[in-house]
Amino acid sequence: MSATVAPDAILKELAALFTQQGKEGDAGVLRACSMTLLVMAEAADDASALGETIAALMPEHPARTILIRLQGEGERALSQRVYQQCWKPFGQRQQICCEQIEITASDAALGDLPSVILPLAVPDLPVMLWCRSARLARRPEFGEIAGMATKVVMDSAAATDCADAIQRMADAVRRGGILADLAWTRLTRWRETLARVFENRDTLARLSEVDSVQVRFGPGYDTAAWYLAAWAANALATVGQTVTPAVGRQDESLRLELSGGAFRVSLSRQDDRLVTVVNEQSNCTNLPRPADYHLMREELGIVRRDAIFEETLASAARLAVSSSGQS
Amino acid sequence: MPNENPFQDPLRFERQVPECVIVIFGANGDLTKRKLLPALYRLAFDRRLAAGFAIVGISRTPMTDDDFREKMRASVEQFSEDTKLDNDVWAAFARGLYYVSGDIGDAGLYQRLGEKLGQIESERHTGGNVLFYLSTQPSQYAPISHGIGAAGLGKGTGWRRLVVEKPFGHDLASARELTDRLHEVFDETAVYRIDHYLGKETVQNILAFRFGNGIFEPLWNRRYVNHVQITGAEEIGVEGRGAYYQEAGALDDMIQNHLLQVMATIAMEPSASFRATSVRDERSKLLRSIRPMTADEVRQNAVAGQYGPARIGGKDVPGFRQEEGVDANSQTDTYAAVTFFVDNWRWAGVPFYVRTGKRLAKRVSEIAIQFNSAPLHLFNQDSGDAGVNLLILRIQPEEGISLKFLSKRPGSGMTLRPVSMDFNYGSSFGERSPSAYETLLLDAIVGDPTLYTRQDMVEASWSVVEPIQNAWRENKTDFPNYAAGSWGPAAADEMLARRGHVWRKP
Repeated sequence: MSATVAPDAILKELAALFTQQGKEGDAGVLRACSMTLLVMAEAADDASALGETIAALMPEHPARTILIRLQGEGERALSQRVYQQCWKPFGQRQQICCEQIEITASDAALGDLPSVILPLAVPDLPVMLWCRSARLARRPEFGEIAGMATKVVMDSAAATDCADAIQRMADAVRRGGILADLAWTRLTRWRETLARVFENRDTLARLSEVDSVQVRFGPGYDTAAWYLAAWAANALATVGQTVTPAVGRQDESLRLELSGGAFRVSLSRQDDRLVTVVNEQSNCTNLPRPADYHLMREELGIVRRDAIFEETLASAARLAVSSSGQS
Repeated sequence: MPNENPFQDPLRFERQVPECVIVIFGANGDLTKRKLLPALYRLAFDRRLAAGFAIVGISRTPMTDDDFREKMRASVEQFSEDTKLDNDVWAAFARGLYYVSGDIGDAGLYQRLGEKLGQIESERHTGGNVLFYLSTQPSQYAPISHGIGAAGLGKGTGWRRLVVEKPFGHDLASARELTDRLHEVFDETAVYRIDHYLGKETVQNILAFRFGNGIFEPLWNRRYVNHVQITGAEEIGVEGRGAYYQEAGALDDMIQNHLLQVMATIAMEPSASFRATSVRDERSKLLRSIRPMTADEVRQNAVAGQYGPARIGGKDVPGFRQEEGVDANSQTDTYAAVTFFVDNWRWAGVPFYVRTGKRLAKRVSEIAIQFNSAPLHLFNQDSGDAGVNLLILRIQPEEGISLKFLSKRPGSGMTLRPVSMDFNYGSSFGERSPSAYETLLLDAIVGDPTLYTRQDMVEASWSVVEPIQNAWRENKTDFPNYAAGSWGPAAADEMLARRGHVWRKP
């Protein structure tokens, strides 16, 4: 494997691809780009599934994608290839193409990546970094790469030490970074369902009775549980109710309950369904586990600070600390 | 008790769409079949409608609920342009379709409708919310509104809203009279006058373009803009609607509503916020700033046209007077071109040329903003065209934005030629854009009237159009005066030539 990558050669190669494509088709080709999407994934990460996810994201978020494949330990190695992702919108003859650059890097070459990525990022457009490697996030080189990004998307649920991951993220936000956590994004449908419950004015009136927020969670739901509990407690605080959330383990899945007096609302996952119970009335909606595509589609649509997430993250990090202390 | 739901997250959650019933008067008509049902089905397909959503179709034809469902299924299959019918989605959607037959003048119809709404409320928990959609002849708007009111259906436990299609009257007096009749039952805040042009993504994109960017607004005034051309051209003729069209004409059918609304969007002042009232206030203010014309000024600044027969692409095309249902001596304008002036500090002296017509060379809706030329020509120009700096906002087809400017021709020497920088809205984002009716129906359900026309806007535009109507009625034109498939009458070219301008050929 080669040990050098020349960004200017990559850009020339990209330009040549478009020129060639333009000559081949009769309806022309449109180069679309609204951001640079920098994806960092381990070599073991399913390349085909990841490729499909990126391709699915392109129609709504056309981007120059720079996919960094992490080769792990071994001698210093750095290589690249360039290709296009094209599609024809419904009923149109013209192809839209987004460019993809794949760079393979061993751990020894991680330090070289910033100087390669910087000239490859599309000028004047946001750089969205999707870090799929929990291992990379703990490496010293990650800070410089993350510093080039407008927004960094991570997944604390994939970390081996969730409490540590969530605290690192909270620290990064405190230092001014814009972050997203797919563990939080997975909760959007949960949060939306709870919000809908309180769209009913009668139910909203009973919110003042709530004096307890309980979250029970099974394996793999640690950060989700902290987020849900922190978010619910923060939301209640905005209407003047101070509630200390209780987070505890159960056998499986996730369950949120808000209660007080004779009023109780709970949300729980049962297989691919979300069950909402308001006092004795229950309702069941389809809730398949969201694919990476759905999560990233949502996150790429937000290129600014997300105040609710950031407040929740700060509170969730505190919950994580107290939970770690207990365990 | 908290006033606001503390769990809402507008950054991430879909807009809340309340349960409701849409009552469509004229459910057997073309608009319902071609536009409304396909749009509502698409909203259901995209899970944008609440679970308890229901539709009640009303027309004179006797039908059962099931007959209506079958008929609507066929419409959705035939007229949904980019949505295949999904059997599961349709099955759930169809369960919310109901039908009531009757004559709109019969009080019994509204009583039966009231019973049906009660039944739906208990079955589907629609919260008492009802959106009445009048997809009928305009002459029936007032009687239907009266019938709704007399049956006590104009008020209820939830909200009640009324959507009316254009035309909103046929002149200023009739527009006011219609409004008065509607207001007997519905407050102005509950009246949604739909102008589907405003629901088009690209018309909304004009607001984004103007007020989301900092670079264009400083140029958006009389110092830099030479003139503006707004075109709403159709390639087709009256397509079997000759009898209807004969009563309306191009000026009333397109300029009074669609194109003046587009002009208002292009020329309005920035609103203080994107709230419905602020945006509509600015649109209204602009419409009220358009200078009404005297009869003399109409002769100089407005041209009526009517297409005559022609041969297009080897096919004989009839003239308007040869169309089915059209009077052989009809004086209806199938083409209208008007020069408007806006009497405010921003636009004083800048001509806004607005044209529309049937059987023109191609189907295109666009706004072209012609900027002033450079004060001095330093270089050789390939094109003799002095007005090279042109910004084109295309509404349909191929929605997008183009900027024309001069560039050096490759090679030695300093010769310039115009080039075009294009942004294609549909292609840059591969995602499907919602249709105008999807956008507007959803807005009406959630109670957002930003893209709907308010009473004062309707009156302001009739005030501008009425003097032209009157002058044209008094002075007969020698029709036909343009051939089908052309870009309109020579008089329209002369109208621009008087100010040293020429129509673009899009």
